Amino acid sequence: MYCNQPPKKPGDKKEVLQKITNMARANSLWVTAYGTGCGSIELRPLGTSRFDMERFGIAMRPTPRQADVLIISGYLATKTLKRVIRVYEQIQDPKYIMALGSCTINGGMYFDSYNTLNVLDKYLPVDVYVMGCMPRPEAIIDGFSLLMKKIKEGRAVGWKHYRENLDYYRENQKQIIKNWDLPDYNW
Amino acid sequence: MIDKVKKELEIRFPLLKLVREQHNYLHIKVDKAAAADAVLTAKTSLGFTTLQLISAVDRIENGAFQLTWILENYDEQEILLISAYFPRKNCVVPSLSQIWPAASAFERELFEMFGISFPGNPREGEDFLLEGWKDMPPMRRDFETEEYARRTFGERQPREHTDPRQYIGDVVGEWNTPMGRNREEEK
Amino acid sequence: MLSNIMSILLTVVTALVWGLLLGGISRNVTAKIHGRVGPRVTQNFIDLWKLFRKTSSIHHGGMFWMAPLFRITGAIAVLLMVPVVVGHNINYNMSFAGDIFLLLYIMFFGCLGMALGAGNSGHPYSVVAISRGLAQMSSYELSFSIAVVAVAVGLHTLRIEGIVAAQQAGVSSWNIFRFPFASAGALIAFLPMQMAYPFSIVLAPQEIPIGPPTEYSSRFLSFMFSGRALFSVAKLLLFVNLFFGGASSWMALFVKTFLLYMYAIVVSSVFPRFRTEQSIKFLWLVPTTLALVDLVRVML
Repeated sequence: MYCNQPPKKPGDKKEVLQKITNMARANSLWVTAYGTGCGSIELRPLGTSRFDMERFGIAMRPTPRQADVLIISGYLATKTLKRVIRVYEQIQDPKYIMALGSCTINGGMYFDSYNTLNVLDKYLPVDVYVMGCMPRPEAIIDGFSLLMKKIKEGRAVGWKHYRENLDYYRENQKQIIKNWDLPDYNW
Repeated sequence: MIDKVKKELEIRFPLLKLVREQHNYLHIKVDKAAAADAVLTAKTSLGFTTLQLISAVDRIENGAFQLTWILENYDEQEILLISAYFPRKNCVVPSLSQIWPAASAFERELFEMFGISFPGNPREGEDFLLEGWKDMPPMRRDFETEEYARRTFGERQPREHTDPRQYIGDVVGEWNTPMGRNREEEK
Repeated sequence: MLSNIMSILLTVVTALVWGLLLGGISRNVTAKIHGRVGPRVTQNFIDLWKLFRKTSSIHHGGMFWMAPLFRITGAIAVLLMVPVVVGHNINYNMSFAGDIFLLLYIMFFGCLGMALGAGNSGHPYSVVAISRGLAQMSSYELSFSIAVVAVAVGLHTLRIEGIVAAQQAGVSSWNIFRFPFASAGALIAFLPMQMAYPFSIVLAPQEIPIGPPTEYSSRFLSFMFSGRALFSVAKLLLFVNLFFGGASSWMALFVKTFLLYMYAIVVSSVFPRFRTEQSIKFLWLVPTTLALVDLVRVML
């Protein structure tokens, strides 16, 4: 079920169509329901009546195959990173990563932990960082609106960057994942 | 109730030291050679049938690991803690995984986190939490966590200035309001 | 010939737009019941376009590719066999004696194709969902078939058009009043057909994440979404024709299908989910018995 070939480089489509598509993509962000740290507890109020993310077209999808956004919600252990890489690579293009909390930015309160990585964008292309420890749902909605703006302007191209610089990311990932047993290409 | 347990244990292990006693709680310290025997006695003849936890503390100043088996008698609602000191160098502790299958998981964790070996545990050495860890066990107190984290995960380069105007001034626009400007002029 | 093609296209496009709109409205109604604001009414169109434009690099074998097509084909076939507006020649209608039985069979064609495709994807959740879905299908199909047979026997016709024509003498001649038990049985069987909540054991988002389409993404999923919208409109039309006197104008059509759809949504948003065996037991007992009462009454 894995590909043996490196992924093809994405090409640009016609402009007007691309604009309409970008609008559609921005207004229909589906989030993989996968929580990595304490931040995922802040995603629950987002779905319920107080903050209601469905009014922006944001919905939770239970499978990475159907999702667009992967939320790294808080501290990321090296063991979890392995799973996150697999989830991220199973999401179909275009895909976006939103990172919550100071842990993903510089390690936060786990900066000296033996098992928590400090700089997330060395391993995965992050489109939006939301600061805070933990960010409140309002801050996450703010992050989503920033992501929507980036998508509408066509600037959320982390997934293209990941494909083009796959070797760089793989090298960094293999540096901290000691028993690397993932296939080299798994999307 | 706990008095009866204490008396029984004192008859069988005359060398035990009492650490702490409450109405349904007893913490004793035994010699390392008698540790497994004491735990077995507590299970077979004193009714402490549940193993709650095996914990280890790195007493580096004594050159020893303090291992504690936390047992519970559910019918009487009593808790018994049996501690023993094992030398830190090439620490070998008898395994209880044949008596309590649940002990296997605790022992594997201690093997990974402290390097304590439990001969007799059939799953010893299998990956538990740290997948493919090759360094010194990270919970030992002579393990330099911060140095390791810096070496492995790196650091985000700090900003050269701490003035937020440099970074968010254009984005937020609040710094360009008349009030902000006035404050600057006053200085 | 050309006019036939045009009317087929018109029917399919209208049904697709109406089905997607109904989906958007239903999401809004559910949100209002939860005390939320809810998405835009056009959210389903946006989702569909986004899915259609996503790339896909998943391959699980031929049947995996065919399943969305099976689903959409089944939906269109059902749609073309049901009269849309009575006495209106704009709708192409494959009507012939005995079409009600072919329809009963072909309604489950899409589901069976879906089962094959999702089984081919090899995901354990898909397989669990399919085994549940087929078990449930065989139980609600029974009560629905008995209800349809009761109506057909009672009206002495095997054509859907004949059943509709027999209900044109005012509201009291609708089959829901002439065959109340059979209608009740069929309306209960309508809920699992729409995967509405007490019977939603196939999709079951919290148990087996999303069921059969777990491995489907992008274009496949967009086909499946539109197939589902078409199919739900086709089912609504069938129920309107069988039990609610058909639709004499487009307005009546939209109102009747909307109300019938709302029935499923409102029931869906206040009930928790049955377990598999509870659902199947309920479907074998209650709607089947109700439909049988009318069948026996008609036979006597």
